[in-house]
Amino acid sequence: MVLLSMILLPVLVAPFAWIGERINRDIPKYLSLSVGVFLSFCTAYLIAKYPGNGFAFHEFYRIYPPFDFNLHLAADGISLVLLGIVAFLSITVTLSSWHVERPGAYFFLILIFLGPMVGVFVSLNLLWFFIFWEFTLVPMFFHIGIWGAENRIYAAMKFFIYTHLASIFLLLGIIVLYLSTHTFEFEKLLNVQLDPSVAKLVWILMFIGFAVKMPVVPFHTWLPDAHVQAPSPISVFLAGLLLKMGAYGLLRWEIFLFPQTSKFFAPLMAFIAVLTIFYAGFRALAEDHIKRMVAYSSINHMGFVLLGLSALTAAGISAAVYEMVGHALVISLLFMIAGYIHHKTHTWYISELGGLMKKIPGLMTMFVIGVLAAVGLPGTAGFVGELSVMLAAFDYYGWVMVIVPLASALGAGFFMWMLQRAVFGPLREGFENLKSLTELPLIENIPLALYIGAFILVGVIPAVVFNLYNPVVNAFAQLFQ
Amino acid sequence: MNINYLAATMVLALTGAFLPVINRLFRISGIQGALISSIGYVVSLFLVLISDKGRHVLKVFYTTDPVSILVGALVLIASWMVMLVIYWITEKDKFVNELVSALMISTAGALLLISANNFVSLAIAMELMTMPTYLMVLFAFDDKSFEAGVKYFFNGALAVGFLLFGISLLYGITGSFEFSALVNNLFKDPLVALAAIFIFAGFGFKITAFPFHFWGPDVYDGTCPGVAALLTGISKSAAFIGLMRVVYEAIPVIAGHFTLILAIIAALTMTVGNLLALAQRRVSRILAYSSVAHAGYTLVAFAALSVPLSITGIIYHSVAYVFMKTAAFLCFAVFLFVWGARTMDDYKGLGRREPLLAALFLIFLLSLAGVPPMAGFISKVFVFTAAVDAGMTWLALIGLLNSAFSVAYYIWIAKQMYLEEPTLEKPVNDSPNKNWILLPLAVMAILLIVFGIWVNPVVDASAVYAAKVGF
Repeated sequence: MVLLSMILLPVLVAPFAWIGERINRDIPKYLSLSVGVFLSFCTAYLIAKYPGNGFAFHEFYRIYPPFDFNLHLAADGISLVLLGIVAFLSITVTLSSWHVERPGAYFFLILIFLGPMVGVFVSLNLLWFFIFWEFTLVPMFFHIGIWGAENRIYAAMKFFIYTHLASIFLLLGIIVLYLSTHTFEFEKLLNVQLDPSVAKLVWILMFIGFAVKMPVVPFHTWLPDAHVQAPSPISVFLAGLLLKMGAYGLLRWEIFLFPQTSKFFAPLMAFIAVLTIFYAGFRALAEDHIKRMVAYSSINHMGFVLLGLSALTAAGISAAVYEMVGHALVISLLFMIAGYIHHKTHTWYISELGGLMKKIPGLMTMFVIGVLAAVGLPGTAGFVGELSVMLAAFDYYGWVMVIVPLASALGAGFFMWMLQRAVFGPLREGFENLKSLTELPLIENIPLALYIGAFILVGVIPAVVFNLYNPVVNAFAQLFQ
Repeated sequence: MNINYLAATMVLALTGAFLPVINRLFRISGIQGALISSIGYVVSLFLVLISDKGRHVLKVFYTTDPVSILVGALVLIASWMVMLVIYWITEKDKFVNELVSALMISTAGALLLISANNFVSLAIAMELMTMPTYLMVLFAFDDKSFEAGVKYFFNGALAVGFLLFGISLLYGITGSFEFSALVNNLFKDPLVALAAIFIFAGFGFKITAFPFHFWGPDVYDGTCPGVAALLTGISKSAAFIGLMRVVYEAIPVIAGHFTLILAIIAALTMTVGNLLALAQRRVSRILAYSSVAHAGYTLVAFAALSVPLSITGIIYHSVAYVFMKTAAFLCFAVFLFVWGARTMDDYKGLGRREPLLAALFLIFLLSLAGVPPMAGFISKVFVFTAAVDAGMTWLALIGLLNSAFSVAYYIWIAKQMYLEEPTLEKPVNDSPNKNWILLPLAVMAILLIVFGIWVNPVVDASAVYAAKVGF
């Protein structure tokens, strides 16, 4: 019942957030916060009870067994890590949105987003996975479209149509897979021997769906628009959860299910990954818009995730999952601060910024820490993630992958250059007397501190994350032998 | 036909027939009229639901199986909701009782159509369903509705002409009207193919399949939207089920030769519907062309008729469609009545003016677009699974791409309602009991979500039907 309540409770609470606004403007955010705390407690409980390997906490709700259309929920180590991200981000995003306009509708949408989001990560039934997956689009569309920046409507429409179109390929893949196997259940699909040509067709169709969500070049164009126009807390959801759905789907429903086909396509994945890393790196280097730059660096990091996944070894997959956690924490921090910089200086452009360290040292120190984590400073999650991905890639593909550290240097390059222009140096004229250029109130600092604390914790003691899912990954890695 | 089912159609038609008489005698108000008709609907619904028990009569003409019970009950519920909305939006009009009377008689015809298993009863039921709607289309009594009415009448006459010509050809060759007798014929004669084409063309007008779709948007746009809800939602769903019975029970062999043509018609219908819908500025025309596109999705399932899943696809899509399309037009009707909103520009900011109604409209639009967990999603899954199963992956891909592109205009309406600033300042008709009308729409939204997850009733009914027709 724990997993089902984690899905249903946010959705059932959501209408009360909407109605509650009429009574008191504070009710929605406290409801959202308490749902976040509830999710955290549930996740902590699940982690404490997790036996260490394989799927646990099976919940099976019969709907229509002849078609295998049943709600089958279960969690393994990888799901638990991602559930942890969901719970953590639900709290931080709520705190970051403390003073949002029209809180009733805003938190209503957050709550109906969280339920299916949990469902995506714990569903072992492919059709239910798709139902949860697809439903998350609707609240995100309204978040971007209503609370976004000046070009929000274009971004929201593009986001919805683009990702919905991608989901169509995923759905077609699911249909073809169902007709060849007559099951939607993960554990049954694991034991099915598919015809190789069918497996390849299914793999490609599903990969398009996942690749757009991740996103990887050349399917990434929705992301910079959506991220830039979305309000910062929603960018956190987009980067921290929505992109993880793509990576998780790829891992759970393609790599684990079709190890041999994935092996066949591994070079393709690696090629796309390296292309993504470099393309996004160069785009970020050329970018003057600070949030767009963070968005490209987010794509760059997802390239590392895909690279880790494409090295079909226990080390590669472990590294990729770890990189997902690191990406969720680090990029979320950067998106939040990029949003605050715009809020305080009324400009998005790096060329119009300068010397912010002199006026708001507290916020900028956190920004510098975040940037250092993103470029892979030892002691942060970024370092462990990138290093382990690169090691796994070397191990699998050999010396071809020597170019990847160059991309890492590229990442360091664009971030440092940005810091030098925007944060350090002389204070730009006009900022001296800018009234809005002040430190953040406490409530908005808490999430930022939480991100920093979290990525330093998992950076210094990677074992807290690794241990949770390593046995699972090792067990699945047997399939690739 | 089960005696209870027959009684259900009788109760409905007689309630409808006596409603104007009661009005003449006692001058009933709108609420009283709604109550009287509701009694008719409730009794009729109850009788339909218990029609798996009891004696059978008129076995040669009508059959009562789980499909007719299920779809009949849903058609009744949808029609009931249409009746409530019609009373609400046209309360002041003195002919509203006549309009509802026609609605109920037409619904009785739909109930007969979904259970007809003989070409005679099929033609009669189809006419019973269509005749009252000729009057209803003219109801608004303005220039547009005259144009719509004339167009509808001539197209309807043409359709029934095609249908009867096809039927008479079949009768001439085989000497039988009964589906069960026809199915055993081996059909050596090429005239049978011609008959099948004519019968299909007759149905094609009703379900607005390409190239018989031209009248649809003009009529749905020209008439009062409550009537359009009946025409697009209820009549079309009933026609789908009628066509399904013809295809699977009467001429499966000959229909088997037409799968490729059906597939091409399906692909054209949905593509044309979606492309034209994208080009529209008036919301009623968008909904009308989206109904053409949905006819295409259902035809995909017809094209896949060699596999049993196609039956599930047809029935599921009809079930989902009857709710989502009827309800979408009813939402449009309420918006039109309260705010006078017709075009996309008028819809700007209506989400802020009418949060609950707009939210319901959004649910129906998302269901039409095929977003889970609404029934429109799962019905598309069944339809396209059937197509892939029948070896037409290309058709499924075209259908799914169409469905993805159709999202553009559905979400465009959502965008206008929620993301834009309001343009309409004052409601045209500000009714004090506005929230009551949300109740029927909310019922339909809930049913739509329930049928989107709880697939058992529809799938079980179609499994029984599939066994009956020999899969």
